[in-house]
Amino acid sequence: MVNDRIGVYICHCGGNISDVVDVYKVVEAVKDMPEVAVAREYMFMCSDPGQKLIEDDIKNYNLNGVVVASCSPHLHELTFRGAVQRGGLNPYLFEQINIREHSAWVHKHEPEAATEKAIRLVRSGIAKVSLARELSTIRVDMEPKVLVVGAGIAGIRAALDLAKADVEVYLVEKQPFIGGRVAQGYGAYPSGRMGSEIIKELIEELKKEESKIKLFTNAEIKSLGGTIGKFHVVVQVNPRYVVGNCSNFNDAIEKCPIEVPDEFNYGLTKRKAIYYPYEGAYPELPVIDMENCNKCGECVKICGGAINLEQEAETVEFDVSTIVLATGFNPYEPKEGEFGYKQFEGVITLPVFERLMALSNGKLTYNGKEVKEIAFIYCVGSREKDGEHEYCSRYCCTATLNASLAALEKYNDLRIYHIYRDIRAYGKYERYYEEAGKKGELFLRYVPEEPPVVEKEGDKLIVKVKDQLTFGEEIELPVDMVVLSVGMEPRNEDVFQMLRVPFSRDGFLQEIHPKIRPVETAIGGVLICGTCQAPRDTVETTASASAVAAKTETYTLKGYTELEPFIAEVDAEKCTGCGDCVPECPTEAIELKEVAGGEKKAFINEVLCIGCGACGGICPEEAINLRGYRYDQLRKMIDAMVEEV
Amino acid sequence: MVEKYDALVIGGGVAGMESALVLADAGYKVLLVEKSPSIGGKMAELSKVFPTTDCAGCIISPKIAATSKHPNIKMMTYSEVKEIYKEDEGKFKVKVLKRPRYIDEDACIGCQRCEYACPVLVPDEYNYGLVARKAAYIYFAMASPRIAQIDLDNCILCGRCERVCPTEAVNFLQQPEELEFEVKAVILATGFKPFDAALKTEYGYGKYPNVIHALEMERLLAPSRPYNAVLRPSDGKIPDKVAWVLCVGSRDKSLGNPICSRVCCMYSAKQAILFSAAQLLADLTVYYMDIRAFGKGFEEFYNMAEDMGIRFVKGKVAKIEETENNNLIVRVENFETGEIEEEEYDMVVLAIGLLANSDVIKVFKNVNVELDPYGFINQFDVNANPVLTNVKGVFVAGCASGPKDIPDSIVEAGAAAAQCIDYLYELGYKISKVETAEPEGVVSGK
Repeated sequence: MVNDRIGVYICHCGGNISDVVDVYKVVEAVKDMPEVAVAREYMFMCSDPGQKLIEDDIKNYNLNGVVVASCSPHLHELTFRGAVQRGGLNPYLFEQINIREHSAWVHKHEPEAATEKAIRLVRSGIAKVSLARELSTIRVDMEPKVLVVGAGIAGIRAALDLAKADVEVYLVEKQPFIGGRVAQGYGAYPSGRMGSEIIKELIEELKKEESKIKLFTNAEIKSLGGTIGKFHVVVQVNPRYVVGNCSNFNDAIEKCPIEVPDEFNYGLTKRKAIYYPYEGAYPELPVIDMENCNKCGECVKICGGAINLEQEAETVEFDVSTIVLATGFNPYEPKEGEFGYKQFEGVITLPVFERLMALSNGKLTYNGKEVKEIAFIYCVGSREKDGEHEYCSRYCCTATLNASLAALEKYNDLRIYHIYRDIRAYGKYERYYEEAGKKGELFLRYVPEEPPVVEKEGDKLIVKVKDQLTFGEEIELPVDMVVLSVGMEPRNEDVFQMLRVPFSRDGFLQEIHPKIRPVETAIGGVLICGTCQAPRDTVETTASASAVAAKTETYTLKGYTELEPFIAEVDAEKCTGCGDCVPECPTEAIELKEVAGGEKKAFINEVLCIGCGACGGICPEEAINLRGYRYDQLRKMIDAMVEEV
Repeated sequence: MVEKYDALVIGGGVAGMESALVLADAGYKVLLVEKSPSIGGKMAELSKVFPTTDCAGCIISPKIAATSKHPNIKMMTYSEVKEIYKEDEGKFKVKVLKRPRYIDEDACIGCQRCEYACPVLVPDEYNYGLVARKAAYIYFAMASPRIAQIDLDNCILCGRCERVCPTEAVNFLQQPEELEFEVKAVILATGFKPFDAALKTEYGYGKYPNVIHALEMERLLAPSRPYNAVLRPSDGKIPDKVAWVLCVGSRDKSLGNPICSRVCCMYSAKQAILFSAAQLLADLTVYYMDIRAFGKGFEEFYNMAEDMGIRFVKGKVAKIEETENNNLIVRVENFETGEIEEEEYDMVVLAIGLLANSDVIKVFKNVNVELDPYGFINQFDVNANPVLTNVKGVFVAGCASGPKDIPDSIVEAGAAAAQCIDYLYELGYKISKVETAEPEGVVSGK
């Protein structure tokens, strides 16, 4: 079947096109083609009167296809599809030909050649539409059910925002308690509030939404399948061994004979095998660390039925329509000997320093020794031009200044040195830099070619710096502590592999486009926020978490989403069931199924198919076509394009 | 009957458009009010954007098109919000002044015949006066709505536009209109004010023709640029040796703006990269205090600029002087050598900072929207919920709460939409599932 009553519209684009391309000549060149019923030029096809022209022509000329030659389809394809639909025609019986960017703009100084190219492009568009078939978008129902992976500040923020808009949230956290790294931090900038307080407040809000947020802690995602609209999730909830409430948990914890380094405090303190990481941690039940528990039963004696040392893991399964990844980051762990790390006592990282502050009241002490002089070394594990981490970790400059100021306020007579490359206290955070200077903290600048060196001399650590600010003077600083301002590293979670989300060059998760679609990934229905996407501070993290919630709500509140129909299609008569296409598919959308008669045929999952065309390319029988880009269309387009003008 | 909307978005730049689009896609009715004749904001003026070097127009025009065509968005351009009364939670009374374009907006088809016929030439604001426009004109090529307007201050009332208009849209008697609306929530996305480069007198902007500011450079580098080349203003020559001076009007207490503007390091590196790509042998220098390449892909971008041979010098420029041939002598203390250096350039670009643009708080008549110490809208719960203001139901996005780059502004705009939706839900304004393709908006009320 050939669509032989096509309307063709050549747009002047207010001179953008017509100053170069002779639009009248283009109309002349196509108006007598056998498939063309009417050809016109117009000043602005995208304007309301321009669109009305198409609508009226569809009715008056009984058109069965439309070609608009104007700007890039990125701009107005949806506009014209709308006009075609309003005129009563299937919107996929339409093609937009780009003669502005592809002709007028790039061949500005060759008007004749530009006109010839425009004619060829328009003719090929007519050829394509003449063989076009009606298509409809693939509608996918979106139940208001969302999986949020990770319950740090990003995951909690996203879960709360979604729940408040009546979305059912499954919030899955690997650790036994929620709150992530913000709960661990000391003061959060720029509010100056304690990280644990911010988390506590969010937890209070979370409790109010309990009916809509199903929280799983100590839980791992075991499998994740399906696509946008219907992901199937299997979660393994590991045993907590504390199964109910008890008024004497604190006694039970005290009686526990096991002591192990407390990971929440980076081993600065010890905890028991039954423990809370910090006061006010959530969920409110303690957890038993079975790797270290010797099942002596002391806690059971006190809390009885609340504790079950034989509890087993449970598996939970559910379906969701979208997935939010909020899996966070790891602080960079310096190599042994990097600036004296793990080589000399007193060389620690910034997150450890923040815990140390939280634990040291009155005096700042480390391993029993009072700390008076501190050197902060910046950009440890960041900005390595030819190294592992080329990127800047964004938050560390301000976090370090913030921590140093907090230390100065909490402890008397500290002497603080900052050994930095560039102080990136961007935006309003400038005030931390300014204040540190005012308070007498000293700044020394190094270049990466000549980094500072940390040595030990008697009781003191000696930091040797070639200081740029004094034009290369070699300075030796005797200090009690060296704090390494470490960057953020990407994590690699199993769920990333299960979902096949793409990574950026820096190893963090990749958004579709930082400006156009900043919270979506190339995998439909999988969104990202917080520090799994890039290094960020809490302000930027919570903003991105809310943005993810908003994007999700554009699906779930409406109840459905529509996917473009340009996917692969199998001609069952031609398909021999060879299966060559199956491994080619990057999204595992093709399956060989037995049909009546015992023969095997390829079947395409409409929702999984991304229309890449790889299967069509490999098929020896040309049995697979891409809807909207079928072989017969493409051949006719090429013929039209090479024909004499 | 007063027209009702679920949300009012003030400001039609990239943040305002994004908030409006998210809300509209979720099914809410949005009123978007923009002061200038077109939506698009500052981003529509830019050349290419870091760190991807996408053409700014190519990124923003689909958003402009989506905003103006969205069935759930009513767009009012060349209009200003004059008064807002918060009468109750979920109930704001809004007065909007619609300024006259002296063109019947419904009749105008954007054909530009009036523009071609108009004999009056005045400096074109969109191009920072680098070229002229007519008194009857369309704001810029991608403007939306694509409607002409007549600048009556410069019009000589010759009537030529009226005679050539094919739809009789010209109306010199049009009056300002005041319209009233009722909205349930407000999002402030009023952006920033660029620092006035002339205030930094040591650098001679406004006195030396070849000292230009960064937004002028953006126009000179844009694909839709006026001369299809970067020309220096004094004599139209293509400059060979160009310097960028960072932190002009930022990190400078003497000029009243102690904070950093977040984008100038990167846009300067980008401008130098773009310039260098067009002119491989150009000698380009960037004078900086700290290079703040902190965002995703920024450090890599800065490294690329260095690898392209662009010179980055740590040093605060003390003074710029002009030579007889309008070249410029930049006097700077080089921090790496400790020397006072003087270097001659063909052209100098001042990387001007982003200042607060918070006049919008004055329109709130019975509630006080708080500002931070720098005059930006205060983020009330900055760590946990950065888009809240101190007034419930009033949210902030983009540069209105502080200088920000485009990705951060867009993310925040999405966040403001999310908080707005939660606020509407809390008040019982819920979206019901829509069965047809056309979203219908709010169905259940309080």
